[in-house]
Amino acid sequence: MKFTLNYLLILFLSFTIISCGGESSEHTPSEDRVSILGAGATFPAPLVTAMADEYRDMTNRRVTVNYQSIGSGGGIRQFMEQTVMFGMSEAFLSEEVMADIESSTGGRAFNLPITLADVVPTYNLPGIEKGLVFSGEVLVEIFLGEIVDWNDPKLVELNPDINLPDRNITVIHRSDGSGTTNVFTSFLSRVSDRWRDTVGFATSVNWPTGIGGNGNEGVAGAVQNTPGAIGYNSLTYAILNNMSYGYVINSSGNIIEPSYEATTEAANIELPDDTRILFTNTPAEYGYPIAGFAWMLVYENMEQNNAISNRNEAEELLNFIIWSITEGQELSESLGFAKIPNSALEKNIAMIRLIKWDGEEIGAELLLQQGLID
Amino acid sequence: MVGLLCISTVVVLLPLVIIMVHVLVEGFSALSYDFFTEELGSPSRAIQGQATGLVHTIIGTIVVDTLALLIAVPIGIGAGMMLSEYPEHPLNPTLRLMNDTLNGMPAILKGLFIFVLIVKPMGTFSGIAGSVALAVVMLPIIARTTESALQSIPWTIRESGLALGIPRWRVVLSTVMPAAKGGLITGILLAFARAAGEAAPLLFTSFGNNYLPNNWYGFIFSPTDTLPQRLYSLAISPYEQWHSMGWAAAIILFLMVIFAFILARLLARDKFKIQA
Repeated sequence: MKFTLNYLLILFLSFTIISCGGESSEHTPSEDRVSILGAGATFPAPLVTAMADEYRDMTNRRVTVNYQSIGSGGGIRQFMEQTVMFGMSEAFLSEEVMADIESSTGGRAFNLPITLADVVPTYNLPGIEKGLVFSGEVLVEIFLGEIVDWNDPKLVELNPDINLPDRNITVIHRSDGSGTTNVFTSFLSRVSDRWRDTVGFATSVNWPTGIGGNGNEGVAGAVQNTPGAIGYNSLTYAILNNMSYGYVINSSGNIIEPSYEATTEAANIELPDDTRILFTNTPAEYGYPIAGFAWMLVYENMEQNNAISNRNEAEELLNFIIWSITEGQELSESLGFAKIPNSALEKNIAMIRLIKWDGEEIGAELLLQQGLID
Repeated sequence: MVGLLCISTVVVLLPLVIIMVHVLVEGFSALSYDFFTEELGSPSRAIQGQATGLVHTIIGTIVVDTLALLIAVPIGIGAGMMLSEYPEHPLNPTLRLMNDTLNGMPAILKGLFIFVLIVKPMGTFSGIAGSVALAVVMLPIIARTTESALQSIPWTIRESGLALGIPRWRVVLSTVMPAAKGGLITGILLAFARAAGEAAPLLFTSFGNNYLPNNWYGFIFSPTDTLPQRLYSLAISPYEQWHSMGWAAAIILFLMVIFAFILARLLARDKFKIQA
């Protein structure tokens, strides 16, 4: 017994040594360190975690941002439950949620655009690469189950140079609540009154046809395993998984190849002050039509959020947010994300300026320190 | 007949062997020095071939599982002891019914229960919340196996103790428990093995972390990574590098459970030696 206990002791000691070994003297001492917890949308996770990596290095491990991707629905939920310091969502908070938060915390909830979500139709047609052209109307009919064959005259008309096979279309959609679905169905609703009246748009809808897949990865997997399938995914997921994706005709009649430039272009429109806007089917002439913001969610009165225990944490959270909408944006394009347009940056700064801790305007203070406002 | 038995044995063992071989083959390439010393960080680290690993996950799992055992073992053994040694107690039928109900309850519900009970009031996800959730998974199993282990000890042993004038609680602790030790440890191991593989109760309790916490007690009081949950999130990620890290995480989880089994057997054996 004694021997075993000794072994146990040695084991634990060695773990302690391993865990301490990583901390060299140049790093911030542990008592000064701050951890920031955020959770939400899956789609911006590669960007936000890369920002977290970069920010941690920049601050010599003083500020660690722990972002867990649990989906937009989960992000909003945990934000409202006040178990995370910031939420992240591809759908902005509904009027109802905003009113709820205003009555319970005495301040607003801010939706801060941090990056752009672009959704592409993905398909699996052996022998056909990316670049099949879709119009909004055709996508509506496919997802309503009205166009059932790949060589339907409407598809052939849009793609005269491609030899479309005589194959049934299998529709794949998300089965979970998802910001990607929100963006995609909002586009379909904007181009078709019929879609808006029968299905509508939301983070999850009653699909008239098709098979459900869980998460971006579930849809991607189902599409890749089913010849003749069509689904919808974030552009980044489609590229990372080597999936074929379509080009989409926008409201100005231009065929737009999905890209981060086209996505940023889509957001280059007049924004409301709270940035809660869906700009699918964007009026921008060369904008990609199936795109929307991904928002970071924070409370106006930060002390009301149970997850934030002191002013220091609130300030470090704000510092990270300010960094991520300015310098942090530089990481976007190398990771396949679109930068937010200047109009969104201005609205962000205006909102951060209003953020308070116990009535003190810490948002304005920090922005002033960094010279972003005067 | 013997032939049939052999076939059944093979059928039972085959999935285990296939899983073990598959996990080893898929995950071995991802096991490196970095895997045990670096933090996970963002997926771009793995894609660009920078140092990435699961050191925080491995330590987190050890801390969360150990704490869960510390919570579940005394309570579970206590409940099992009451069921077996005090059969006349009026609460026993209820206790047995509740215990079986708890055992049949989906693990995710236990996680949600702890979310409401601990995470919400604390205002943060934490390793300790994960431990309590796992302890709730372990509890009914430990109680049940303790009961049957103690039941298997003949009543004559208890009677001989009582005949010497030793109080009842003392008889249970000093004669019945040591005699049933093998069974008790097996029960604890079963419970541990079951809980160590559970990801569901941890999703909304220990939550996950991409880095080491800021200080050592951060494993207990702040969001903590655990192998089953990280394995799940690595597996559903769209990155091949993360998939193989997921397989490697499975190897480590496997080894940890085996290691715990060996350790427990050693503990049990030592005791018998001293007695002899």
